Amino acid sequence: MREPNVAVAGYGAVTAVGRGVDALRSALQSNASGLSPCERFNHPRFQSNIVGATPPNGGGDDPAHCLATEALREARDRARDSLAPIPAERIGLILSTTKANIEALERLSDGRPCSGAARRHLQADLLAADLAAEHGARGPVQCTSVACVSGLIALQQGAKWIQRGAADAVFVVGTDHLSAFVVAGFTALKSIDPIGCRPFDRDRCGLSPGEAGAAIVLMRADLAPDAAIQIRGWGSSNDANHMTGPARDGSGLARAIRAALNTAGLRPEEVDYANAHGTGTSYNDAMESVALRTVFGDACPPFSALKGMLGHTLGAAGVVETIACVLAMENRLLPGTPRLNASADGAPSSLVKTPRAAGRLNHVLKVNTGFGGVNAAIILSHG
Amino acid sequence: MDNLVITAASQVNDGDLLTARLGGRFGRMDRLSQLALLAVERLGAAFDAQPRDRVGICLAVRAGSLSTDVEYWKGRDLAGGLSPTLFTYTLPSSAIGEIAIRHRLTGPNLCFVGNGPALLVEAEDLIRRGETDACVCVFCDSITATAAELIQEPASAQAWAVFLERNGEGVILSPENGRDIASLCVNFCARKSANETNHASLA
Amino acid sequence: MQVSPDELKAKIIESLNLQDITPDQIDNDAPLFGAGLELDSIDALELVVMLEKNYGIVIKDIEEGRPAFESVRVLADFITARRPPPS
Repeated sequence: MREPNVAVAGYGAVTAVGRGVDALRSALQSNASGLSPCERFNHPRFQSNIVGATPPNGGGDDPAHCLATEALREARDRARDSLAPIPAERIGLILSTTKANIEALERLSDGRPCSGAARRHLQADLLAADLAAEHGARGPVQCTSVACVSGLIALQQGAKWIQRGAADAVFVVGTDHLSAFVVAGFTALKSIDPIGCRPFDRDRCGLSPGEAGAAIVLMRADLAPDAAIQIRGWGSSNDANHMTGPARDGSGLARAIRAALNTAGLRPEEVDYANAHGTGTSYNDAMESVALRTVFGDACPPFSALKGMLGHTLGAAGVVETIACVLAMENRLLPGTPRLNASADGAPSSLVKTPRAAGRLNHVLKVNTGFGGVNAAIILSHG
Repeated sequence: MDNLVITAASQVNDGDLLTARLGGRFGRMDRLSQLALLAVERLGAAFDAQPRDRVGICLAVRAGSLSTDVEYWKGRDLAGGLSPTLFTYTLPSSAIGEIAIRHRLTGPNLCFVGNGPALLVEAEDLIRRGETDACVCVFCDSITATAAELIQEPASAQAWAVFLERNGEGVILSPENGRDIASLCVNFCARKSANETNHASLA
Repeated sequence: MQVSPDELKAKIIESLNLQDITPDQIDNDAPLFGAGLELDSIDALELVVMLEKNYGIVIKDIEEGRPAFESVRVLADFITARRPPPS
């Protein structure tokens, strides 16, 4: 791994289990699920009304911006001591989102009121530019949008910027809001679980749409001496198989995991915990099980999935699920798999159902996969 | 330090789509993916010599998938409802999937919304860090009339593609040559024409 | 009223945006999925949309539609049997 090291100096989140990272930590400890019926989606156009919705914050026409702002404020606040001496020109921002403020398209299409700002934030790059300006990031700005692996790719990019000296700190912000656009789309693909997703469960049959704002402040490790967790390795790959169906042999994801282990300089047996993508669809979870076995053989580390807690938060998933991994490491906790009842036959036996204290959590693997055959993995390590 | 070289370049627009014949799936793709796929096709067999897991795909999309989003959402009140096919293309990165499938490229992926030199800067970084040995880089500018009105930008339908690898014949990625993909394509084609003229005059 | 295979093939080509294929190139008894036209799972979902849009047939569960998609002829018979009578 190249110098300098990249540390997680701060984090912030607003999710289906509440506002702020403290709410997320509590939910991890109690294995809670934030999935619930949402009246907005009581309509035949939607396969289910059970989603992972954030607490209401007054509605509004710019939910993508709202979620991102709230998360970024908390992350900056938590990192304020380390951030204070860093000049704005040395702070970058990377936005991770699949649909940006798609709310604006729905409103404009229906002839409903839509402010200039909301309309502007339909364009993800402009949303990124505005967030950077609003939060004092005058360094490089970028918007990654790689389906459901956007968040991990954004974190990789942030780490690379710091390692090559393009920035000393990077705000990595993930945002995607619940929308008729997306829920109706997954309905058209018939890929929603009517009773709420159950990752790695024998009876799983689909995903649950979710929303979140999540932000991580990445920083040169020497500038954040109190930050314990670092991003140590990463990788990505493509299945080159099918637009929505993962390669059954898990080879693409296995490749991404191996690339991450490579850049981290770690052997598979050094991974203490893995956080899966675990959407709850039949194909995804089966493929991940195969990928994990391919990389780890019979010695798969404890692993779990959190979409039963948060829903599938798309562009925010990689960021919020990484925050969950950081919390797990800070609290020496192995997260469970909310809403899991009976494990699927093919799932490795190290699947963690309910949370428990971890013996050792030095190195954690986080993975995501997405439409278009994309796979991504990062390794988090204690510095 | 190795030079990174653009060894192939292409540019396409919607006129080129009329005569494009890229197999059964092509007609089902959104225009963004079609432009991207055709631009990569026109690079020729540039990456045949590479192991497919050592070729990355880097994509930049000027207005994201907005044009496809508009088309998809229009179908919401029609009998039968929304098109599942179109939904799968309401992501800026869908074209990566199509490129990967067609050319069996399993290396790393990047996708940005917006334009600018970030595309080639990041592709270069991927190669220099050893994450991959070559990159297919594509910049797509596909904005339909309806989407253009929404975002107050001119309509457009173009894509540029370059193949970036360590060493080889072509345009070297140097500070002088910049990182703007459109300029680099022009540069590459001019260089290619000049070489062909030279060879012709030597013959 | 019997749905003609030719009319159905035209609808399939249109709804799936199949390039360069004419109805007479599709064999009425050839498999639609796997071999032949090599349609995939998303195309199956798209055909479900087509059925509702063009023939008023609603398929709630994709498994219900699967046997009907065996071939053009089987699908034509399915539509003929299931389409609502004209009001």
